[in-house]
Amino acid sequence: MKQNGKKADGRPLFDGYKPLEGAYDEIFGEEGVRNDVAVPIQALDALSRSEFVKRRSVANSAFFEAGVTFSVYGDEKQGVERIFPFDLLPRIISAKDWVHVERGLDQRVRALNMFLLDVYGEQRILKEDKIPRGIVEGSEAYLAKMHGVVPPAKTYIHIAGIDLIRGPSGEFLVLEDNVRTPSGVSYVLENRAMMKRVLPAVFAGSHVRNVDEYPRRLRETLSSRAAADVDQPNVVVLTPGAFNSAYFEHSYLARRMGCHLVEARDLFVHDDYVYLKTTHGPERVDVIYRRIDDEFLDPEVFRPDSLLGVPGIVRAYAKGHVTLANALGNGVADDKAVYPFVPDMIRFYLDEEPVLGQVETYICERKSDRAHVLANLESMVVKAVNASGGYGMLMGPTASKAELEEFAERIRANPRGYIAQPRIELSTCPSWIDGEMQPRRVDLRPYVLTTASSSWVLPGGLTRVALAEGSYVVNSSQGGGSKDTWVLDDAS
Amino acid sequence: MISRVAESCFWLHRYVERADNVARLLRVNRSFVLDVRLPEGARWRPVVVVSGEEERLSSLLGDDALDEGEQVQEYLTWNENNPSSVYSSVKWARENARTIRETISIEMWENLNIFWHWMSGGKGRRLYKSDRDAFYLRVRDAAALFLGVSRQTVLHDEPFAFMQLGVMLERAGQTARIVDVKHYALAQNGASGASGAESSQVGETAVESAQAMALLRSCSAIEPFFKKTARTPAGRPVVAFLYSEPLFPRSIVHCLGQASSLMSEIRAEAGQETGVTSMALLHKLVDSVKHNANSGAIETNLHSELTRVIDATSEVCAAIHSDYFDPSFDSSPGPMTSQIQEQA
Repeated sequence: MKQNGKKADGRPLFDGYKPLEGAYDEIFGEEGVRNDVAVPIQALDALSRSEFVKRRSVANSAFFEAGVTFSVYGDEKQGVERIFPFDLLPRIISAKDWVHVERGLDQRVRALNMFLLDVYGEQRILKEDKIPRGIVEGSEAYLAKMHGVVPPAKTYIHIAGIDLIRGPSGEFLVLEDNVRTPSGVSYVLENRAMMKRVLPAVFAGSHVRNVDEYPRRLRETLSSRAAADVDQPNVVVLTPGAFNSAYFEHSYLARRMGCHLVEARDLFVHDDYVYLKTTHGPERVDVIYRRIDDEFLDPEVFRPDSLLGVPGIVRAYAKGHVTLANALGNGVADDKAVYPFVPDMIRFYLDEEPVLGQVETYICERKSDRAHVLANLESMVVKAVNASGGYGMLMGPTASKAELEEFAERIRANPRGYIAQPRIELSTCPSWIDGEMQPRRVDLRPYVLTTASSSWVLPGGLTRVALAEGSYVVNSSQGGGSKDTWVLDDAS
Repeated sequence: MISRVAESCFWLHRYVERADNVARLLRVNRSFVLDVRLPEGARWRPVVVVSGEEERLSSLLGDDALDEGEQVQEYLTWNENNPSSVYSSVKWARENARTIRETISIEMWENLNIFWHWMSGGKGRRLYKSDRDAFYLRVRDAAALFLGVSRQTVLHDEPFAFMQLGVMLERAGQTARIVDVKHYALAQNGASGASGAESSQVGETAVESAQAMALLRSCSAIEPFFKKTARTPAGRPVVAFLYSEPLFPRSIVHCLGQASSLMSEIRAEAGQETGVTSMALLHKLVDSVKHNANSGAIETNLHSELTRVIDATSEVCAAIHSDYFDPSFDSSPGPMTSQIQEQA
């Protein structure tokens, strides 16, 4: 479909676009542009190619100048800062589809939260054998020490990022849950600001729902979960520091919420309360939006050898003197070996049928599943249960023989550590590649906040796109990029 | 404001000021040793001594290295094991800046980043080899640019006050050290059998007058000196000028006086109940320095007076640390004491 010798020109943007066979295309159906996303697509199509290219380069240089970057630390001395590759063509979701997604996410996060409350409390779900006890208590992320510690307002999950994909018939499926420290929302907000700047006319007629209230909603969420006796809670964002690859996001959110960005060494615990060291003396802290993993939070509890963390913070938390968002021990709920049981959780706790489907999953710890996985490794996607970011993963269909053998060995050695799924034909979205619109695979991370009375889903989310031709891997650490996600209003 | 951020503001500017001072001292000494015939031990050793690096340098490179101009320059400019080398100072300035990018301006960050990449990326090294003088001038200019840019681009509130406080306390200590070089060189002259000790009774020798000029140059004080006083630039008036001239921006009296008003600004923002120990120590130091400027102590007992100023300045810095950078409910510093900064 590449027209050799023809430079980007005045032709319409989507001229010659051919969806990928076997995958659902987010924009183009069998009869051309899908009806419910037609308005913005027509406006985009009206831009000539040369105009689109111009605006694209404005966006890219603006991202770099604004320092919307993530850091790659190869060697110790110099951090390399890169922009997260950005594709100017938005991913567009209709109002109708979004209602469905919202309902499904709300339901799922409620169930996951009840699961955590139960697992660290009565353990009804284990006693009634809906989930094997071994799977839960065998999770590396399960914190037995948190048994009996109930967080303020019984909220474990303040912020969730639930990764969704769309299968070949367009149905939304949950790919994985992130209820520890899901990242990426700053890119959602920055991408949107950029889109409004470079494509104002397209935006104006499209009725795209606003994402800008996220920081305010996040602040409300955090404040509403403070221990009961606090009037105006002191909320801080806790970052591992400037060397962390998501530091930009940490400082961005702190700035947008108008609260302090702190490192562990800025905090200390006195009489089981947490304090911030300021030039006017110690200042009590009520809510900590922590972007540090459980095991680095408190050397008294987790890693006595660690210099990171705040000694005593877990004691303060257990006494209900400080709120940690997300709560401690959440990892057991997004463990990939627990994931296959989430539909059962929804039925068990809510007495509802799951709104969103999910991907069929083989638990390597189970003998029969393991045998199936090992026999069909070359058609499977294998994932380490406790990893994220596309690390510790095998793409069977594209792996070499040596890689397949290595993974088979790893699975045999540590069956609890792995799950496997058939490879799903992820949906595609037109993306600007080498001067043409070409289909590229995408996923979606929407963000769910648990506010005082209900949950709130950010209308949009991070669409990640596998920029390499034929690739299924969307992670930024593996050559993925991002797109702005437009959720359309009913009015359009 | 957060203590860590205040501490980084303080050290960010301190390190830049330090890079400037070390570069200035080395450049002036290069020219000085060409002008004057001095015994070996009085050529480069004093520079190492006032930098407080005598022990580390001789353990790393041997005692003889203290008299080797090239080795001394290399060590004080580039050595990464020397926490106050120009290289280390720029590096640590940038590290401090990196963690407080929300607090400093974009312009400050870009400026320092360019400075650091020049130092670490080969360009600085090449200039150092091809034109040493130009290299040290470039360091001086980069530091001046950074300090100027920060004055023009951030709010003049509490973080800015900590930045300036870092500059003033560093500069007071550095001026005291630089003046002390002269004392040291004189003592060496005397010890090595030259006529230094005697001649200071009867009048300045050529060496001493060259030293006096070098001393002024080390503090960028030649023109201010001549504008302010008609006297010939001999040892005593020069020392008196650098010690006590309130209008000269690198004099000890000026720097400590400025530090004292900056402390008052900080207390106005952070609260009058804060900084009690450091303020008291600083007041005491300022009073004694003003008193000694007029009492003749600097003429009779210069070395011990300068040592006292250097030590008292360090005490003020330590008190600022416990008052502002590491506050806790106990008066004794707890296990959370920050250990990342190199106190000098």
